[in-house]
Amino acid sequence: MTKIYTASLCGMKAELVTVETDLQSGLPAVNMVGLADTTIKEAKERIRAAIINSGCGFPKQRLTVNLSPAGTPKEGSHFDLPIAMGILLLGSGRQSLCEQVAYIGELSLDGRVRHIRGALPLAMGLRERGIRKLVLPRTNLQEAALLRDMELYPVDDLRECLNFIMEGGKAAPWKGKQASCATREQKEDFRDIIGQEVVKRTIVTAAAGNHGLLLMGSPGSGKTMMAKRIPGILPDMSYEETLEITRIHSAAGLLSEETPFVLERPFRAPHHSISKAAMIGGGRHPRPGEISLAHNGILFLDEFGEFDPSLIEMLRQPMEAGQVTISRSWGAVSFPCHAMIVAAANPCKCGYLGDEHHLCTCTERQLNAYLSRFSGPILDRIDLHAQVFPVPYEDMGMEEGSGLSTEDMSLQVKRAAAIQKERYQNTDIRYNSRLEAKQIPVFCPMTKDAGQFLKEACEKLALSMRTYYKIIKVSRTIADLHETDTIDTYHIAEALRYRTLDRFYRRPGHGN
Amino acid sequence: MEIKKVHINEEAYPVLLKEISKPPDPLYYIGNLGLAERTCVAVVGSRQASGYGCRNAEALGEKLAARGASVVSGMAKGIDSCAHRGALSAMWQGSRGSTIAVLGCGIDVCYPPSNKKLRDEIAGFGLIVSEYPPGTQPARYMFPSRNRIISGLSAATVVVQAPGSSGALITAEMAAEQGRFVYAVPGNIDSAYNLGSNKLIRDGAAPLVILEDLLTDLGLGTEVVKDFEKNLGEEELRLVELLAKEGEMTEEQLCAASGRPASLVSGMVTILEMKGVICTYLGKIFIAKS
Repeated sequence: MTKIYTASLCGMKAELVTVETDLQSGLPAVNMVGLADTTIKEAKERIRAAIINSGCGFPKQRLTVNLSPAGTPKEGSHFDLPIAMGILLLGSGRQSLCEQVAYIGELSLDGRVRHIRGALPLAMGLRERGIRKLVLPRTNLQEAALLRDMELYPVDDLRECLNFIMEGGKAAPWKGKQASCATREQKEDFRDIIGQEVVKRTIVTAAAGNHGLLLMGSPGSGKTMMAKRIPGILPDMSYEETLEITRIHSAAGLLSEETPFVLERPFRAPHHSISKAAMIGGGRHPRPGEISLAHNGILFLDEFGEFDPSLIEMLRQPMEAGQVTISRSWGAVSFPCHAMIVAAANPCKCGYLGDEHHLCTCTERQLNAYLSRFSGPILDRIDLHAQVFPVPYEDMGMEEGSGLSTEDMSLQVKRAAAIQKERYQNTDIRYNSRLEAKQIPVFCPMTKDAGQFLKEACEKLALSMRTYYKIIKVSRTIADLHETDTIDTYHIAEALRYRTLDRFYRRPGHGN
Repeated sequence: MEIKKVHINEEAYPVLLKEISKPPDPLYYIGNLGLAERTCVAVVGSRQASGYGCRNAEALGEKLAARGASVVSGMAKGIDSCAHRGALSAMWQGSRGSTIAVLGCGIDVCYPPSNKKLRDEIAGFGLIVSEYPPGTQPARYMFPSRNRIISGLSAATVVVQAPGSSGALITAEMAAEQGRFVYAVPGNIDSAYNLGSNKLIRDGAAPLVILEDLLTDLGLGTEVVKDFEKNLGEEELRLVELLAKEGEMTEEQLCAASGRPASLVSGMVTILEMKGVICTYLGKIFIAKS
C-alpha cells in the first residue's frame, strides 16, 4: 500500500488529502472511493494510458484508491498525478520518501503533466499543514512561487516525476527567479480625456476613500472610457494584496502559464445579463463570482440601470461584509470581496434626459420606472455620483495633456491613502468608506460651522440619515485630499455636490 | 368640487372667449369663473422641456400672477405644469393673480394622472374649464381643439419652449388667428428643445426678451427688480456673475470659465444652492428665480 499527499480545493481553502493505493488479488479493476466526483473518477483512464505510455507497467490486479478523509467531496483534475504516483510506487519500497512531499497535476494520455486550476490556494493549504515540498506542473510554477518559503519541484511529465522519487528525493528544489510584483504598465491615461475636470475630481475622491461611484451621462459622453482608467490611479498592491487576489483568480481557474499571477488591480466589467451565480459566486463546488474576482480592484457595472434589480440587491450584503459566503449541503465557503463599485448609467431609458442636443423621448412612466432602479438600497452603497456631459465639439480639437493625468491623480490618491493608513492603523478598516457610524465621531472631527452647515443642508435638501453619514465619510476623504485633520464647511459642501442624484431629477422650485 | 356650466348667451361667459370662431357652448368649469375676466395670459409650451424652459415658465407664471394676471395653460406635463405652479406660488405669497387650466378631457378627469395634486390646487384656488361633458376620456384629437380655448381666453399667448413639433405651436397659431398678442421666449439655437419657439419668432411672434414688454403691452405695470446678491463672498459673486452672463452652465463649464479648481467650484455651488441663489436641474446650474 502507498500513501501520497495532495490537497483538495474547497472554495479558496485547500484541505490535505491522502491518496491511499492498495493492490489486492482479483480480476483487474480500478476502484476509486472517497467521494470523488466525475473528473476524478475519469482519472483512471487517463492514468492507465499515461503510465503505459511512459513506459511503465500498469498492475493487472484489483486496485483500490482511497481519497482520505473519505467524508468530504473532492473535485478537480489535479488528483491524476498523486494517484498515478501511488500506483507507480506500489511495491517500490520508496514510500518513506513521499512523506513530506505533496503532488498536484493533471495527466495527459502521453504522460505529460498539464496545467491545473488552483495551484496557489492548494499550495497555501499544504503549507498550513506543514508540507513544504510540492511537485507541480511546470506551467503552475510561477504562480506557486508567490509563496516564497515553499520548495517547489516543477515537472513536465510523469517520467520526470518518477525520477525525482527514484533518485531518492534528493533533487534540489527550484531556485529560479521569482517574478517581481512591481512591474506595472498603464497604457490608458486620464490625459486622453479632454476636460471633464469635475468628473476627474470626483473619481479622485472615490478612489482615495474607496467610495462607490456612479457615473451618469448620455451615451458617448465617455463614462466607460473614464471607468477603465480608474485602476491606474489606485495605489500599487501590496504583496499580501497580490497574494489574496491571485489566490482567488487561481481558484477560479483564470490563470495560465502566460499570466501566472495578478499584478494589477483587477478591473471586472460583467455584462448586465450576468447570472446571480456568476456575479456572487456559485456552482456545486462554489467558485468565486465577479465581486470576488474584483477583490482589491474595481467592479465596473456598465449600464447599471439594465442590471436585474434583484441581482443588484444581492450585491449589497457581500459588499458591506467584505466577503461572500456560499452555503451548500456539505458546508459553506467564503470568498473575500472588497471591491470598489463603479457604475455607469444613462440618465433615462433613451439616454438623453438633460442633453441639449437631443430630445428625451421617454414617457413619464418610463422615467419613473427607470428612476426606481436607482432609488433602491444599493444606491446607498454608492457614495459619489458624477454627471458626465459630452465634450462639446469645439473642445474636441483641444490639445491633449492639458487636464489632469493619471500620474497627477494617482499622486493625490496615494497621499490620501497614506493618511488613512496612518489613521486606521489600530483598526481593521483601510478606507474612509468602511467607517461605521459609531466610529465617525472619533475619526471625523469637524468645525462647528461645518456641523451647522451639514445640519442645515440635511434639512434643506431633505437628506436621509444614511446619506448624512455618507456625506461625512466623503467629507473625510476630501479633507484627507486637502491634507487637513478637521473637516470644514467647504469639504462638506463639496461632498454634498457629489450626491447629485438625490436631486438630479428634482425640478427647480419644488419640494426643495 | 361642484361642476358648473355656463352658456354663451349668459352674462358670466368669458368676454374674450365669445369673440373667437366656434366658441365652446356650454363651457364646463370648476372654481372661480371671475378669474377669466381678469387679464389672462396663456403660458404654454411642450411637455418635453429642458431646465431652461421649466424655470422660465415658472418665473413667468409667478411674475404674471404677482401682477394680478390669470395664467392660462393646459395642465400638461412640462412647461404647462411649471406655469401653473409658478402662478400658484405667487398666490401663496399673497398675490392677487391666479391660474386657469383648460382641459382637453372631461372636467372631472385628471389627465395626466400624475398631476392630481396640481389639479386639486387649481380647482381649489383657481379655475378649471373644459368644453367636454364630464366623464369624457382624453383622446389625441381633443387637445388641438382645446388649444383654441387657451388662446381664446387670453389677451396674449407666450410660448415658453417648444421643439420642432408641439401643441404649443398650434396654440400660438390660433392666438394669431384670433388677433391676440403672440410671444415666444428665445432659446439657444443649438438646442433641439427650442427649435419650435425660435421658429415662431422667425415667423413673426414677438420675442419675449424682457418681461416688461409683455407687462406694458398688457398694461400690468413694470417689474420690480429684486436684488439677490445678498452676502456673497468674492469668489461666489464671481460664479454668480458668470452664471448671470451665460444663463445656464454645467459645473464643468463653470470651472473652465472661472479658472478655479473643480474641488472649489463644487463646494461653492452647494453653498450657493443652499443660500438659494442658484438652482440645479438635470445637471445644469442656473440662477434661481429672483
